[in-house]
Amino acid sequence: MRTLFEFIDALPSSVSLRESLNAYVYLLTLHVVSMGVVAGIIGFWDMRLAGMALKWVPVTKVQSGLFPWMIGGTVVNALTGFLMVYSQPMRYFPNFWFWTKMGMLVVVAANAAFFHLSIEKTVDEWEHDPVAPFKARLAGYVSLVFWVGIIATGRMTAYSGLVPQWWIDLGLG
Amino acid sequence: MLQPFFQWMQGLAFSKFFLESIWPTPIVQCIHLVAIAVFVGALLMVDLRLLGKGLSDMPLPRVARAAEPWLIGAFVVLVLTGIPQMTSTALKQYYSPFFWWKMEMVLIGVILTVTIRRKLASKDESELGPVLPKMVGLASIALWTSVTIGARLIGLLS
Repeated sequence: MRTLFEFIDALPSSVSLRESLNAYVYLLTLHVVSMGVVAGIIGFWDMRLAGMALKWVPVTKVQSGLFPWMIGGTVVNALTGFLMVYSQPMRYFPNFWFWTKMGMLVVVAANAAFFHLSIEKTVDEWEHDPVAPFKARLAGYVSLVFWVGIIATGRMTAYSGLVPQWWIDLGLG
Repeated sequence: MLQPFFQWMQGLAFSKFFLESIWPTPIVQCIHLVAIAVFVGALLMVDLRLLGKGLSDMPLPRVARAAEPWLIGAFVVLVLTGIPQMTSTALKQYYSPFFWWKMEMVLIGVILTVTIRRKLASKDESELGPVLPKMVGLASIALWTSVTIGARLIGLLS
């Protein structure tokens, strides 16, 4: 992994992005704006599944109405996030919060895939129920908790020194 | 004119607490960001609906009523978590053009939201005509986007 990050670090495109005066400002600002769209929509989707909001809206209507916007936001969010890491790989490589965030992204992706392959298959039977079946509620709660974690660890990435001692002892930086 | 007021905020024991302790500031910043997500979700649901998109099969007044408590709740959290971030760096804020830009946009955004946007969203759509709701939805999205941009630039460029 370190080899990959060091390889990117040395690429001319990474260097020029890193040395650009404004690139990071634009990228981080766009990343925050698109985060609102992505996490805002996913949050209400999760709350619908968990039975906390929009209980009167059929589950598939939340999905068909709001997911295209969420996916648009995700494209911008993922691209700006990728480019920030691409431009400063050796800043993120030793960062505890960055890796915790990436781990949480894997969890929400797996959670969404599990929902998609299991209880969502019968969504026609329960999409009008104000309170979704247990498996769907569980998927909603798991996603909510981990998305809060993703937002928080994303913010904490700026505090690279505020991490557990054992992480510092790894000596990655 | 307001400089003495910002000087006073900077000198508060409350501000010193946030400046001198390690965890309170990042924790408050994390909560502020989570509240942004809730706010944007509740906002976008109604603004997209005003544009004829998003939850377009659902009646507008019902969508607006469902979103409102989340919008207000998130706004309250944003203000509460914004206060320590403002007072603890009050002089930086005072001299940052982005801070004033953000606050002007917040003010206009709040006025738009509690007046015409709220009134529009409570009415039956057949009374609204095709143009006004779209203009209000777009204005709302533009205003709150510029709030977020201004906010991020205080930290990056001030």
